[in-house]
Amino acid sequence: MAGKVSLDPRTKLFMVLAISSLAVFLTNIYLLLLVLLLAVAALAFAGGSIVDLLGKLKRLIAIFIAIVFVQSIFTKGGQPLLQAGELVILSDIGLTRGIQTMLRFFIILSSAAIMTTSNPREIIQGLIQCKVPYEIAFMVTVAIRFFPILRDEVNDIMTAIQLRGINLKQVPFLKRLKTYSYLLSPMLFSVFMKSQDLSVAMEMRAFRAYPRRTSLRVLHFRTQDYQVMALCTIIFLAIVFTALKAG
Amino acid sequence: MMIALNAVSFRYPRGNWILKDINLHIESKKCTFMVGPNGGGKTTLGKLMTGILKPTLGDVFVDKLNTKQAKLYQVGTKVGYLFQEPERQIFAATVRDELAFVMELKGIEKEVIEQRVEVALVRFQLQEVADSFPFQLSRGEKQRLALATVLMNNPSFLILDEPTTGLDVERKERLSEIIRELKKRGTGMVIISHDERFVEKHADRIIIVAGGGARDGG
Amino acid sequence: MIPIKAENLSFQYRQNSKIILQNIDLTVDKGEILAVAGLSGAGKSTLCYCLCGIIPHVYNGLMTGNVYINGKNTRDLTLPQIATMLGIVFQNPDNQLFSFSVEDEIAFGPENLCVPRSEIERRVTETLKTVGMQEFRHAGPQQLSGGQRQLIALAAVLSLQPEILIFDEAMSQIDSAGKKMVRDMILKLKEEGKTIIMVEHDFENLALADRVLVLRDGRLAPFNGQLL
Repeated sequence: MAGKVSLDPRTKLFMVLAISSLAVFLTNIYLLLLVLLLAVAALAFAGGSIVDLLGKLKRLIAIFIAIVFVQSIFTKGGQPLLQAGELVILSDIGLTRGIQTMLRFFIILSSAAIMTTSNPREIIQGLIQCKVPYEIAFMVTVAIRFFPILRDEVNDIMTAIQLRGINLKQVPFLKRLKTYSYLLSPMLFSVFMKSQDLSVAMEMRAFRAYPRRTSLRVLHFRTQDYQVMALCTIIFLAIVFTALKAG
Repeated sequence: MMIALNAVSFRYPRGNWILKDINLHIESKKCTFMVGPNGGGKTTLGKLMTGILKPTLGDVFVDKLNTKQAKLYQVGTKVGYLFQEPERQIFAATVRDELAFVMELKGIEKEVIEQRVEVALVRFQLQEVADSFPFQLSRGEKQRLALATVLMNNPSFLILDEPTTGLDVERKERLSEIIRELKKRGTGMVIISHDERFVEKHADRIIIVAGGGARDGG
Repeated sequence: MIPIKAENLSFQYRQNSKIILQNIDLTVDKGEILAVAGLSGAGKSTLCYCLCGIIPHVYNGLMTGNVYINGKNTRDLTLPQIATMLGIVFQNPDNQLFSFSVEDEIAFGPENLCVPRSEIERRVTETLKTVGMQEFRHAGPQQLSGGQRQLIALAAVLSLQPEILIFDEAMSQIDSAGKKMVRDMILKLKEEGKTIIMVEHDFENLALADRVLVLRDGRLAPFNGQLL
């Protein structure tokens, strides 16, 4: 899924840092909304799929509606918008805070999605060229590779159990719980063995034989990368300035 | 009992077509081999036949169950499936537990379970490692254990993905005996293999899977 | 210099547990293809681990005796140091592929050896051709079948161009066309003077070897057509 423009992963990292730091520091809902729009635009520009992103965000909406109510019930003060007797179910402060939290999460998720438009190997190379030691950068890769392995492992076990003719839904809850706990340790062990095998495989291919290593891929900044970073900086400063002025 | 594939095509989301418009009827009581080059789609076809994967287009029927609607456990009571990598289907704390645990979940009596476990241990030459941790067995032992657990269910159909991998000559002969025995009992089998001698020995029918298609051959 | 030499090598996982290797003496000469046969569970993989230093460096257990690679004791070497001389292809391809693409997987080894970029590029192209997987250069590992993954695992070790190679049942899932390619490759490596140890069940592959030994009850013996 190559985008129309292929930005250097370091440029993307820069954008992600700028966007997510705004998400953390801003409190004004309108500015947060603006940043969210910018983040989505940046994602589209980097070649990411907005449809996929919307799919992910949709699943979170229920949680945020819950947050709005929880904030309303437990935060004192503010104008009640909805009341049940003495209990304030929905207040303006609760609503504002809930929306803030939601926008922040959406911004961070959208900006994180920007990184997924890069090939992970390129991201590692980006980190290495930003002077991150290669051992650490590769540790990150193995960790990234690890989650799908863990997920596959769980899926396979569940598939294998069901294929042996067991309907897990029909097994009484306590027995099922016992089964899960019983499977947990062998599963963790197998994941542990697998990670050990992978690290042995890496070492047997001379990983860390020398303090340096070469790389088939080398990243170069191009004009568009400088342009994007400059634009990003200007927008960042403009938003910070507006936020400070608005108090 | 039969497995039928009607106009089945398969691809992973956003991937290329792995299988295209496959029509196959596989009767039981026969030993059908699927052969073909690496990456030809044999494993995918095997997984479609058990409902582990669902067809992108078309339908797969396992004895009148459409795998699109059927639950895995329903297919699992009819079809046993041996993964190419045995590690994917072993997970208990000891070899003995691995063999027993499904029967325990089904609430079968303890004595019956113990007796059946003993039979399986002997049949698959696993007595020596009965109390070992399955993950520390050798590849061949894992393979035998996986096959033994699949057979504990007495499935009327078996799908074996590369069952001879990691087996030495003697163990291969032992596997051959088991296959002959199952055949006699009327268990239908689909075996994915590139072990030519093994194919020659047991095949009643050979299906060549290559380039996304499947045709009868040899 | 002798590529691989084991002296009075014994191994068991724990005191009182089954002895897996017992007083093994083995010398493998430069340019030799040695095949090791044996029943599954006989300890062939364990022997491979001992010969390449994974035992005693990674797995716990009781190893006595010594293994020398190019005259150096494996106990005094780190695994990455050993990897500059020796390459091993393991049985299970899933546990040795960790990259996001085939190209990255094969480039990984030479990158660690600080091979210049243009040479890495050349090696990736060449090894992919050797195993007949050129068209999968940019594929991800999850798009490959079991046999194809084994071919990539082989290619990833070949690109290191080690002097000594150990194949632990490295062809078990490869189809017959692929096996033929791998056999040709092994013979070519021998011509180049590489030392090769292969653990095998397949009689057709055993025929490649200059010498076939059987591992039985923890001891190595000449092969006489019988595994038991």
